[in-house]
Amino acid sequence: MNLALWSAKTGLDAQNTQMAIIANNLANANTTGYKSQRAAFQDLMYQNIRQVGAQSTQNTQYSTGLTLGTGVRIVATETNYTQGSVTTTNGALDVAVNGRGFLQITMPDGTLAYTRDGSLTLDSQGNVVTASGYPLQPAVTVPVGTQSVTIGNDGVVTAVSASNKATQIGQIQLADFVNEQGLQPIGNNLAIESAASGTPQTGTPGANGLGTVQEGSLETSNVNTVTELVNMIECQRAYEMNSKAITTADQMLQYLTTNLS
Amino acid sequence: MDRGLYVAMTGAKQIMQAQAVNNHNIANIDTVGFRADAVSFVSQPIYGAGYPTRVNAVASDAGTDFSPGVMQSTGRDLDVAVNGSGYIAVRGTDGKEAYTRAGDLRVNVDGNVTTASGLPVLSESGPLNIPPATTVTVGNDGTISVVPLGLAPDAISPSDRIKLVNPPAQTLQKGDDGLLRLKDGTTAPTDPGVSLTSGMLESSNVNAAQSLINMIELQRLYEFQVRSMNSSDQNEQTAEQLMSNNS
Repeated sequence: MNLALWSAKTGLDAQNTQMAIIANNLANANTTGYKSQRAAFQDLMYQNIRQVGAQSTQNTQYSTGLTLGTGVRIVATETNYTQGSVTTTNGALDVAVNGRGFLQITMPDGTLAYTRDGSLTLDSQGNVVTASGYPLQPAVTVPVGTQSVTIGNDGVVTAVSASNKATQIGQIQLADFVNEQGLQPIGNNLAIESAASGTPQTGTPGANGLGTVQEGSLETSNVNTVTELVNMIECQRAYEMNSKAITTADQMLQYLTTNLS
Repeated sequence: MDRGLYVAMTGAKQIMQAQAVNNHNIANIDTVGFRADAVSFVSQPIYGAGYPTRVNAVASDAGTDFSPGVMQSTGRDLDVAVNGSGYIAVRGTDGKEAYTRAGDLRVNVDGNVTTASGLPVLSESGPLNIPPATTVTVGNDGTISVVPLGLAPDAISPSDRIKLVNPPAQTLQKGDDGLLRLKDGTTAPTDPGVSLTSGMLESSNVNAAQSLINMIELQRLYEFQVRSMNSSDQNEQTAEQLMSNNS
């Protein structure tokens, strides 16, 4: 076991994982409501080869010790929950959450999931559903014969019937979490509650620090492509350096075996 | 028996360890707040009867490079970078106070402010704990202000303050977990002169070019050692031949 080889190997592993995260961010640069992720690197434990202060002879001490680091690992992926920019789509059921909070979605198994993707549509029964067909919670059903639907900043959904009569047909509620970083992404622009996120605090949009909902708009992905590209270059070069370190350690060992045989 | 072989072997072994330290630095080129390790060699004469001809090399910590890393803007509220010298106090897994420059903080579900690896960040009076909040901001002096969950933004109030310290670099030592601690085992006092910048992270201070040059140099030095091991070997082979010719 050669430590020089193995610590460089941990570097290759970590850069490889980082590249996967960058690629996922770039792939989702146009995903509505996507929040970018980043890798958190941490140095691995150190091996204490010689303790500082050990006796070098009976009367003298080593003034410095020797600790060897064993490489790096990715300790977490952090989701960056900064607001993405809001684009106007003019779709009547497109909503963007401006500020904190998530839309609540009922999953096919009855559990709740949370999303920032507000590209809502109607299903055949008039239920308001996400692009994947999952209904909003609390459910909103648009009655037959509705001419237009309006969603207010506070989440009140109003339908205008053929006789020009406006009726409130529902109320969109937002859920907020103490630690939104702790939400577990499950794909389909959805995330679910975890032990780390805490329990959801639901409320009316605009109240108690929750964001407002903006009709006719969608929140774009908050991936900054320039940052990601710079990260990608850096990641590639760091990968190359770690690979060079492995080659060098290999050459040293090779030199040893060829010269001492 | 030519003991020069052993002297060269010690040299090669120590250089391989130095290469491991260098590779560790390269592996941590993207670790936030990482401080590069340095290695130096100390000559270690072999005592005993006879002429003092043999001096082994012993690799030893030249300590840690405390020069600042590059500041990267991230825009995240809980990313903080220490301006100039100074450290953020955290509680290590051994329960003792330790110091780090890695400022990618987070708040867990219990309201504890932690580092990316989950170590609690300390305030003057123990682990930093904040109430459930919608917005968390970190001021220049480490004061954390929060808007409590369920309240309007004007309810913002200061909560607690991150303990920031600035002990002299020569009194600090890197532990097995990569955190810095005072060599004498005590804790450093809060230094009001240390300031933070929010929305920034300090990158690793590993210098890529320098690490590559070190790597090449160590490789060649290693080859020197192996060559001299080879020479010792050849000397002994020749001696062996002479002996067998004479008999």
